[in-house]
Amino acid sequence: MKTRKVNHRMLSVALLTGMFLLSIFNFSFGQDVARGQAQATVLPLIVVTATQVLDFGEVFQGVPKTIARTNDDSAAIFTITGEHGAGINLQLILPEYINLADDSDRMPIVFRATDAAVDTNGATPSTVVAADGWVDQNPYILPAGATIGATNTRIYLGGKVNPSSNQKAGAYTNDIVLMVAYNNQ
Amino acid sequence: MVCCRKLSGEVFFIIWAAVTLCIILFGSGSAQDITVNNNLEFGPVFPGVPKSISKYSAGEAAEFFITGTPNAEITIDFTLPTYMYSSGSTMAIQYSTTDCAMDSSATPNQSSPGNDNLNPRQTLTYRLGSTGLTIWLGATVVPGLMQKPGNYSATITLTVAYTGN
Repeated sequence: MKTRKVNHRMLSVALLTGMFLLSIFNFSFGQDVARGQAQATVLPLIVVTATQVLDFGEVFQGVPKTIARTNDDSAAIFTITGEHGAGINLQLILPEYINLADDSDRMPIVFRATDAAVDTNGATPSTVVAADGWVDQNPYILPAGATIGATNTRIYLGGKVNPSSNQKAGAYTNDIVLMVAYNNQ
Repeated sequence: MVCCRKLSGEVFFIIWAAVTLCIILFGSGSAQDITVNNNLEFGPVFPGVPKSISKYSAGEAAEFFITGTPNAEITIDFTLPTYMYSSGSTMAIQYSTTDCAMDSSATPNQSSPGNDNLNPRQTLTYRLGSTGLTIWLGATVVPGLMQKPGNYSATITLTVAYTGN
């Protein structure tokens, strides 16, 4: 009987000690881990295509020639695709001259403050109006609020060449560069 | 009769021990628990345009809520991803040394947290409040100019442990 009594007490003390240590362990060293997510959706890339070159065609020596931005066949057309409605920054880098392939002569090219249009509504150079985007824009400072239209956005550009009276005959070219970037708007 | 009194004493001792242990277990050290209240949501991201989510931005910043023993000191460790992933593509994600904040008050204020501008890459030590502790995390994604379109994600792991203090 005495032995049984001791065992009960020893058992109780052991239980008490064990649970106490367990509680201390839990209190001091317990840890929890949670996992959250970082999530983002990357929108479609901007793609810029030179759909049509600014084509002055045949030019006579000493006779300036102008191509209007409204000329469906000869105005430069750039087409921009990407996320519909996203704001974009537009910048044209325009040449001051167009050159013969062998660089033996060059011809001045100028752009007036109304030689560009921005079309977000699927119009054409000859039909684009202010409601379609922006018309009569300065190609050196394209509108800051431009966006990508439902199908695309197009830039129409006209210009003028001023051949000299002794302009060398031949095919003159140079690059017109359009840079487009999302502006997070 | 004597035997019965002895047995009653032992039973009483066991009951006393059990009650004491219950007090120890549930009165002084409940286990902590973490709830993810909000994921870190960047939403639409333009290729080539970095996007930051402020820790103050409700609904966009990551938000974790920790409960446990009131006033207990805990350590907080983030395991932060360096990239987000989308079917083989990666996008860099960065954290500034001030992108984390926490508030242990009963009414946590995300726009003006009690403990602000914390470095999420360091182990943070803080005390739980009477109702717990809320932690916010901001970050910046840096998409490339030719970043492949799609949904990107990564796991942010938060580990919390009592210090015993």
